[in-house]
Amino acid sequence: MTDLSLNVHQPTEVEEVLDLLTRHQGNVKVLAGGTDILPKMRAGVLKVKHLISMNRVPGLNRIEFRENEGLVIGAGTRITDVGKHPQVQKHYRGLAYACSVMATTQIRNMGTVAGNLANAAPSADTAPPLLVYEASLVMVKKDGRREVALDQFFTGPGETSIDPMEIIEAIRVPAPPPASGSSYMRLSARSKVDIAAVGVAGFVSLDPSGRIGRARVAQGAVAPRPQRCTEAEEMLVGQEPAEDLLERAAAACSSDCCPIDDVRASAAYRTAMVEVLTRRVLRECIDRAKGGVE
Amino acid sequence: MAKQVIELIVNGDRYEVAVEPSRSLAEVLREDLGLTGTKIGCNQGDCGACTVLIDGRSVASCMTLAIEAQQREITTIEGLAGSLEDLHPIQEAFVDHGAVQCGFCTAGMIMSAKNLLDRNPSPSEQEIRHALSGNLCRCTGYTKIVEAIDAAAGKLAAAEDKGEQP
Amino acid sequence: MKNPAIIGASLPRLDARHKVTGQAVYTDDLKFSGMLYGAIVRSPIPHGRIKRIDVSAARALPGVRDVIVGADTPRIKYGNWRLVPASQDELPLAVDKVRFVGDEVAAVAAIDPSTARRALELIEVEYEALPGLFTVEDATAEDAPLIHDESEGNVSLVRKIEYGDIEKQFDKAHLVLENTFKVHAVSHAYLEPCSSIATPDEGGRVTLYTSTQTPYIVQCLLAHTLGIPENYVRVMKTQVGGGFGGKMELRPWEFCAAFMALRLGLPVKFTLTREEELATGRRRHGMSIYSKVGFSKEGKLLAKDFQVMLDGGAYNAMGPTATFLCGTFGNMLYNIPAYRYFGRHVYTNKPPASAMRGFGAPQAIYVGETQLNMAAEKLDIDPIDIRMINGMEEGDVIPEVATVSSCGFKESLQKVREASGWDEKRKNMKGGKGLGIGCFSFISGGVFNWFNTKYNFAAAEVSVFEDGTAQLASMACDIGQGPDTVLRQILAAELGIGIDKIRLISMDTATTPKADLGSWGSRVTLMNGNAIIDAARKIKEMLIPVIFSELDLNQIHDIGFADDRVFVKARPKKGMAFSECVYKALRGRRGEPLTARGFYTPRNKGLVSPAFSFGAQVAEVTVDEETGLVKVDRMYTAHDCGVAINKMAVEGQLEGAIQMGLGYALCEQFVMDGGRTLNTNFLDYKIPTAEDMPPSEYVEVETYEPEGPFGAKEAGEGLAVPTAPAIAHAVYEATGYRCMDLPITPEKLLAALEKKQK
Repeated sequence: MTDLSLNVHQPTEVEEVLDLLTRHQGNVKVLAGGTDILPKMRAGVLKVKHLISMNRVPGLNRIEFRENEGLVIGAGTRITDVGKHPQVQKHYRGLAYACSVMATTQIRNMGTVAGNLANAAPSADTAPPLLVYEASLVMVKKDGRREVALDQFFTGPGETSIDPMEIIEAIRVPAPPPASGSSYMRLSARSKVDIAAVGVAGFVSLDPSGRIGRARVAQGAVAPRPQRCTEAEEMLVGQEPAEDLLERAAAACSSDCCPIDDVRASAAYRTAMVEVLTRRVLRECIDRAKGGVE
Repeated sequence: MAKQVIELIVNGDRYEVAVEPSRSLAEVLREDLGLTGTKIGCNQGDCGACTVLIDGRSVASCMTLAIEAQQREITTIEGLAGSLEDLHPIQEAFVDHGAVQCGFCTAGMIMSAKNLLDRNPSPSEQEIRHALSGNLCRCTGYTKIVEAIDAAAGKLAAAEDKGEQP
Repeated sequence: MKNPAIIGASLPRLDARHKVTGQAVYTDDLKFSGMLYGAIVRSPIPHGRIKRIDVSAARALPGVRDVIVGADTPRIKYGNWRLVPASQDELPLAVDKVRFVGDEVAAVAAIDPSTARRALELIEVEYEALPGLFTVEDATAEDAPLIHDESEGNVSLVRKIEYGDIEKQFDKAHLVLENTFKVHAVSHAYLEPCSSIATPDEGGRVTLYTSTQTPYIVQCLLAHTLGIPENYVRVMKTQVGGGFGGKMELRPWEFCAAFMALRLGLPVKFTLTREEELATGRRRHGMSIYSKVGFSKEGKLLAKDFQVMLDGGAYNAMGPTATFLCGTFGNMLYNIPAYRYFGRHVYTNKPPASAMRGFGAPQAIYVGETQLNMAAEKLDIDPIDIRMINGMEEGDVIPEVATVSSCGFKESLQKVREASGWDEKRKNMKGGKGLGIGCFSFISGGVFNWFNTKYNFAAAEVSVFEDGTAQLASMACDIGQGPDTVLRQILAAELGIGIDKIRLISMDTATTPKADLGSWGSRVTLMNGNAIIDAARKIKEMLIPVIFSELDLNQIHDIGFADDRVFVKARPKKGMAFSECVYKALRGRRGEPLTARGFYTPRNKGLVSPAFSFGAQVAEVTVDEETGLVKVDRMYTAHDCGVAINKMAVEGQLEGAIQMGLGYALCEQFVMDGGRTLNTNFLDYKIPTAEDMPPSEYVEVETYEPEGPFGAKEAGEGLAVPTAPAIAHAVYEATGYRCMDLPITPEKLLAALEKKQK
């Protein structure tokens, strides 16, 4: 409900944002779409007296793709725009899918990918795809910028390695190699508006001989944080993409995960579904890699 | 923080109001501006009853801070029709196709439909349903809503062809 | 006598334009000068005694105008079943005990909503926790503590039905099935949260604007709990954003608003949050059901022993009716020579279950349909054939209940069989796919006067004017299902005037005729429609003398009313405009207005209902056997609602009912931790979205119900029944998993498949 003592700052420069972060440290949250922060505040789960809106800071709402460099998504870019971007749809199909089906149209119009990552729910839909692309975050602080690999960013449910004085400035996603394919699949009881009970993303590239060159698999909603499945990845690299290989990799992912029982699903179901989804995701990655479209 | 005086541009009209920073756009529209067509069904961003357009995009106004909506063009259900006789084709289609029962979800549905048709003038049934997935309805089962939006798309396209204003 | 331009027309709702432009006014849209905002303190524990309440800090908060607790109120118990005062077990604010998480304990009124909510936090309540009982088994166990001191064994009421020689029939039976089922509680999930505004009138009277489906019931019970005369309360209409049975009682905030408005001399508004609605609002009854059925070798039903424990939650609410109707629906649809029903309404420390679309039928018929499918399989009879063998027909007697009048059940079965391609498809079902059937029958309003009203069940006042227009005053309540339009169609058809000429004055208990029991049990079209026809006929009796005298007619002539004219049926050109006839009648009556009242109460129609609807529905599903997710590919429905007064509205009811049934079968459930509800938002309480809905086809079956206005009977509530059993049957056919405890979840399905493999 309305907390009359809430302060909402609307700076127009990054410098100002960082100043405010320092001044109100411990009692402040950065706000873009607000679709995670406002519900949490109203439920009494998040108690801060200061919100810093990023929405008037220019230059953050951008998305650029360069052939050899890859994708840069500004921190202010809305999920809808990422999902609809032609280069994302062409080169990062898993991410495009996540961005076009997660939550609802309204939330996708309001929320940012950066916000989805910063909120760090274990089930964040943009996390597994970005993990398999080996994305990194450009963070900015008063004394300069740093780049953090996404798989070092999540530290626990709702927790990240972001410094309290730092903000995300952009997400960098490397350019995918030729003959590669990616996919993201999620499960929930009711179509897609639900928070995912299980989410799996995959990325596979094939070398000229048809064997798997690079392989990355990530899972969401089944561990304290979105995570990569390195055991499965190692199993896949250099191998022929045969059905039984995919099955073994999927089984490894299933052993890797450690979900909980909650309102949305039981741990047992989630564990079993990781295996099912991983198989399906990998198969789709390989088909896409062969199809040469990504 | 004390109240801030803000200017909101709603349906082309400029309103000046004093609001606490924490007030949602939905609340301010309904309580301060007397625009009660936008409904609050859950106040949690899940049901879509509060959907309005901001700079032409559908958003959940219950999850939007009023002060963040300054300097943007806000369109609510009240801004669509010229009058009760001169409805927007989407509104007309909702009436004609029986897409309204209790009416509580209706404003949000229509705004979401506008967001869709403004971007995708001839959506497939699947695209319509996907666009509406954030608007819950308990009365209609959505069937006639989807039919109405499909019909409205046809009408708007025909008007477009003729060079008419919708 | 049908007027196809009106009766059966697919007319758009007459209030649709107001709704699509945002002009329609719902209770929370209203504001009054000096209006205060209310909020409620609710019990955080499921069961306990109140030791101490300290409201002093809340009272002292600037901006707070009033704080009330149970002790400040008249402490008069209430409940809808006025006929059985012992069943009236609720207080607006708890006095000595709290019985569920959410039980109302105190209320505040303040100058704005946030002050009201801050005041809540300042109210201290000390409880002595008592053990909580969360299942019917626990609540009825031998040493279980009593939730209500008056109800032994935590059973608040029972119903028994018995006819035929049940032992003999079971002995004769070739096949006997004995099964236990569990069905779960779900939410009405109407989009408009409850909202009420009370404004004080002079002389200790109060007007209440409220989101309700039963203005008359609210009026009577509010007056009762305030300790003031019935007519000191006036309940006024606003638009209502859905009810589905969850808004058919007096609610605590209605009392608190009125009580404080009277104390303060200021309007007071309460609007609930969605969390409050989901966490503490009414629900459909969960039930534990034991059912034993016996069949002959040819598939004839011989006997049924049906025992139900209704999980009523903390208070009776509309539980007694659900207990009664569950027994009735246990032997609807099919003729059973011997039947025994034992229903027990059990208290538990959870939010009270109450009326919800279907009122005991979805649960009872889920069991009946599933057992019928089990029998069909064991006896190697086609599931539709076994229904044809046993299905009710016009003239069949439901022992001690009624004689079935219009009945399109078998026609529905045949039509849905054809439409769905049942026979062909079942021969060629691919892996993971299944086809299933579910049927329904439902009441068109109830006969039993549990509210103990002294008035007729429905009333209408019709006035006609020399400008050719008419006014219909009716307490009938449109909560989205469409009577505001349908009732005017009936009047337009009966009087022969354009529907655009009819103004509706509705749901103002002071100016609309007494009484109307409300929008529940599918009573409105039939009962109010009949009251309107009664009134309209009286109006016509005032007009007919005019035309006879003006045209000097031979007394053998019949007079017709159509197209805004009054005319001689044998010579239609001989006549006059309706408006002119009214004018002349007015003159002839020396200025006495042409106003007539009509009434309806069912008579000689048995104990339960004046008419029954019937129907059959087929579901086609595909099950993903790896994830356990069920996709409903298509639905086919054939149903008999008599004559559909407004075809588009009836379709809308069917389509909406499928959404509810889909949710009931697959994705809606409350996740409880003891007495606490964990999923209290629409993200985690999952109602089907537009993307979840299957395409659906619908075949018309039309009968003529003699008791109904123009042949109409109920449409829309019975339709909430067949979807879950049809889907469950289809899932069984696809996977071999027979769901005995709704909902069908992926986890249950996979567990069953796994067990099957072992």
